[in-house]
Amino acid sequence: MRLDEFIEIEQNERAERRRLAEEKSYAVVDHLDSFRERFEETVQGDSTFGSVSPSIFVGRSNYPNVSAGILSPVGNEERAGKFATSGAWYDEGVDLPEVFRRRTSLLNSSRAAPVNVHDTWDGFVGVGREVAIADRPVQVEIGLADDPKLDFDVDDVTTPTGPRATARSAALDENPHVPRPVKKTLEDDDWRAEGAINYLYRRGFDVYDVNTILSAGALGRSEARRLVPTRWSITAVDDTVGRYLRGRVRDNPGVDAVQVYRNEFVGNAYWVVLAPGNWEFELVEMKAPGSVWNPDPEAGTWLASDYEGYEGRTGYVDETAGAYHAARLAVLEHLDDVGRQASCLVLRHVSDDYWGPVGVWQVREAVRHAFDGDRGEAETFEDAVRGVAEHLPVATTALRRKSTMVAGRQSSLTDFS
Amino acid sequence: MFKAIVSASTLRDALDAVSVLVDECKIRLNEDGLAIRAVDPANVGMVDLALDVAAFESYEADGGVIGVNLARLEDIAGMANSGDLVHLELDEETRKLHIRIDGLSYTLALIDPDSIRQEPDIPDLDLPAEIVVEGNQLDRGITAADMVSDHIRLRVDEASETFHIEAEGDTDDVDLEVGREDLIDLQAGPADSLFSLDYLKDMNKAIPGDAEVTVELGEEFPVKLHYEFAEGMGNVTFMLAPRIQSD
Repeated sequence: MRLDEFIEIEQNERAERRRLAEEKSYAVVDHLDSFRERFEETVQGDSTFGSVSPSIFVGRSNYPNVSAGILSPVGNEERAGKFATSGAWYDEGVDLPEVFRRRTSLLNSSRAAPVNVHDTWDGFVGVGREVAIADRPVQVEIGLADDPKLDFDVDDVTTPTGPRATARSAALDENPHVPRPVKKTLEDDDWRAEGAINYLYRRGFDVYDVNTILSAGALGRSEARRLVPTRWSITAVDDTVGRYLRGRVRDNPGVDAVQVYRNEFVGNAYWVVLAPGNWEFELVEMKAPGSVWNPDPEAGTWLASDYEGYEGRTGYVDETAGAYHAARLAVLEHLDDVGRQASCLVLRHVSDDYWGPVGVWQVREAVRHAFDGDRGEAETFEDAVRGVAEHLPVATTALRRKSTMVAGRQSSLTDFS
Repeated sequence: MFKAIVSASTLRDALDAVSVLVDECKIRLNEDGLAIRAVDPANVGMVDLALDVAAFESYEADGGVIGVNLARLEDIAGMANSGDLVHLELDEETRKLHIRIDGLSYTLALIDPDSIRQEPDIPDLDLPAEIVVEGNQLDRGITAADMVSDHIRLRVDEASETFHIEAEGDTDDVDLEVGREDLIDLQAGPADSLFSLDYLKDMNKAIPGDAEVTVELGEEFPVKLHYEFAEGMGNVTFMLAPRIQSD
């Protein structure tokens, strides 16, 4: 796996999105104020405080000297588990303000660290790695070098991050509970990261757990164990598990009929069209002029798409980045469950209501849960697309130009013999 | 039994045509020459290749089948200058292929042919249009289409007797119109099909620019691309399944 395969967005683009999100919700500023109050109550006198950490965050600036951060919900310790991104957020029905409330309540105490950590299990970085491999929030004591900066940051892949402070030290206040399969991958230092990622997934760890463990540099061959920036680790795990599942489903029979699933979550609507045939996949995104994502609102709805055929992609996922891998994973999980393969088109409409990006977990969970609901059936793929297009903000002709699959689905030679 | 001597350039032309679709293949060592047929794992693209005994400096075979890793074999063939002769000899005992090029010898481990994907049946298609075009023209159309899209339309306009290579991208369009006077031959018929550029680009890589390519085409039907190499003693047929708009 090459981490630099996953594209970067420009720094100023990120700043612009953050500004837009701030404009859309003054509540974010209120959340930061209430964080300050809780922080001042908790941290009195000196700058060492006890908290409970559910997760870590590894930044990607200055790679290979990154910022390694331990996240802690200062003042909300008893509910620490709720602050780490997971599929449970969907089940709880969190909305955009709630995501920002949770994440702006989470202090990121960080230090600059070289990514090469394979035998580092003490000091600040060691404590962070212990937190990451534990299966429940860990009691920690953190010493800060400065006051928290009351700020937040958004990204198209990771969940937003909140206030930051530079840490002096960190210590564990308990012995973290590490599940047996994680211990196994940790002890085997001759196991390539891809294999270890898929092993943990097969053992029932969701991608959220696996990407945190990967991020802590706890998987892979010993010399290759490095801290992995959170953004990269999310996409890497979605991609790796996706390729594993794709290998499985490609031997399955095709779905019997053309099926249409729909779901809606935090201002995003999703349609999934599955049609009989060999595995192929496309994500088409339509971004409303008022969503924080549209780079050119004057021009109307912004279209982006990426496609893969039966054998997968060879090039970068240029236009849809982490959302592509998250949506593909969700579709493959469903196909694996039902023992089928299919020609799959996912359409995502990002509405004006999506005022702040909350990370690709929302794509993953919305598409995963699209399959829980009722499904529609259509005679043909084209009928299905025509039906869905009535609810879309773009004309079918524009969709045909943008979408490889709407233009034509790949047939097989056996269809003609 | 298999023992043959062939020019490096002929061997390379043959291997290139197959390796654009598959990583490994079966080679039939027939008495009248080599034959390879392979289909990619998605069953979308197929190649059918024959290299006549006359293309070899010397050739002896009795109908065996060997399985080869194409990348390896191409690497070895790549060690030769184009004028060099490549000596091939199968060791039946060890199931290895001995390859000799100007003092360099290489022993290539073979793959059990039974472990290689089965050779496909060739769909029996009666395609209504046939266009004979120079490899260079095809290459020009494919290169232009690739600038705007990942799929390409091949079409015959029956009224004007023209062959069209078209692509429709997000914003831009490409249309290469080739009239009868620029074609080697044209049998017009109802023909309009869409294809994946990924596949067609790969096939195009193997087609020599000066080759006469016979394109057989229908409406939402596979395309057949046929050309000769090794001075007419080798021939290749590619077949590619279309991208379809109606089920």
